[in-house]
Amino acid sequence: MGIWDAFSDIVEAVTPWSVVEAEAPAEDKEEQPEAESKDDDDEDEEEEEEDEDEIVDPKDVLEEECRNSAQCHPAKHHFDECVERVQQQEENDGGAKEDCVEEFFHLAHCATACAAPKLWAKLK
Amino acid sequence: MLARSSMRSTRILNGLKNGAATASKRAASSSSSAAGEASATRMNLAAAASTSLALGSIAWYYHLYGPVAFASTPAEEGLHSTKYPWVHSQLFKTYDHQALRRGFQVYQEVCASCHSLSRVPYRTLVGTILTVNEAKALAEENEFPGEPNDEGEIEMRPGKLADYMPAPYKNEEAARFANNGALPPDLSLIIKARHGGCDYIFSLLTGYPEEPPAGVVVAPGMNFNPYFPGTGIAMARVLYDGLLEYEDETPASTSQMAKDVVEFLNWAAEPEMDDRKRMGMKVLVVSASLWAVSVWVKRYKWAWVKSRKIAYDPPKEVKVRR
Ligand code: HEC
Repeated sequence: MGIWDAFSDIVEAVTPWSVVEAEAPAEDKEEQPEAESKDDDDEDEEEEEEDEDEIVDPKDVLEEECRNSAQCHPAKHHFDECVERVQQQEENDGGAKEDCVEEFFHLAHCATACAAPKLWAKLK
Repeated sequence: MLARSSMRSTRILNGLKNGAATASKRAASSSSSAAGEASATRMNLAAAASTSLALGSIAWYYHLYGPVAFASTPAEEGLHSTKYPWVHSQLFKTYDHQALRRGFQVYQEVCASCHSLSRVPYRTLVGTILTVNEAKALAEENEFPGEPNDEGEIEMRPGKLADYMPAPYKNEEAARFANNGALPPDLSLIIKARHGGCDYIFSLLTGYPEEPPAGVVVAPGMNFNPYFPGTGIAMARVLYDGLLEYEDETPASTSQMAKDVVEFLNWAAEPEMDDRKRMGMKVLVVSASLWAVSVWVKRYKWAWVKSRKIAYDPPKEVKVRR
């Protein structure tokens, strides 16, 4: 125990905020409410199972909004055009002569950058 | 002694320099007087030649090294990940330990079946992610080789807090065999091991599009992911909305799980970060206090200097006749 520990011990003893303990809180107190709350948990689980299908990823929603926003319009325009072109090539010439990776990158870059701060505001 | 001898040597040097200067002066004056105008054109020629040599060498250099060769396509480079405002990357913020707990759950339930986390012992989870009892119970779920017994045989014993997390596969060959030849990397330091860190891993986990963009050919057994260099990755999308249930009832959307597991992996790679920031804070506090003390001490020491008053009291004019 160095001198610094002595100091920080003193500081910890004096400071009003509490120290986080790695030990679980006293057990016998915990058990009874847990037994009660188990029923609640089960109910919750059932509820959750019901709305499991309803979980919508905010990332998908926000990025879709961003893709259709004015900000990403040029990127989306190029991407759509490319997709159309490649599909025509596939129909007419029996194979694509190019791919839309670059256009996809530009659109994805725009959409994710636009959605990033909004997404973090939504997620926990 | 040394000083004197060095002085002597500089004197000698000065003498040499003067000698050289006078010699060159003599040479210049004699040549100009002898050759006249012809030497002027020669000088111009020399100037022009040296200048064109200089320009030529610059041009040659630019020809060789100037243009940047784009040796890889954007697809080979991979899409650069977007920056996300991670809370723990702020200067005075710690990890969100609730998120770490959720992220550990994601690692255990999803990633641990393929990826090892071999540099993280159970004891480090205590107090940061789990309570002592939870961590002990978790360690005891696995068996580890113990001490040799009386016959020298090594028996298996239940895990202890000091043990490291077990890997899903015995060795690299087994891991590759189970994953079509691809090796799932150890995740202990993955955040530090990849360009883009947290942003990259988050983008990688959430970035699988429903189908690859038109015209892209994905190799058999591979999956399209724009963020992975080359865009073909052996790991399929693993996170889906509602894949697991968080104990704190956070909605388990894909991006929520990815965010949590990435924060957990950042903790695994950099468990000292909270302490480091605390130490930084201590340094700031101590140096600020010392500075304040020094300001007070300075005031105290200077008090008599600052408060003294120097007054000039001129001698009274006394009319004295001499
Ligand atoms: C089915 C097995 C499997 C599961 C489950 C899995 N992975 Fe992977 N993972 C792989 C394989 C195989 C690779 C190697 C991919 C390659 O090299 O093409 C990989 C690669 C990675 C990489 C490295 C990418 C790179 O840049 O090299 C990261 C990071 C990663 N996985 C994270 C995760 C996380 C986080 C989870 C849990 C949410 C997870 N994985 C779940 C099989 C898996």
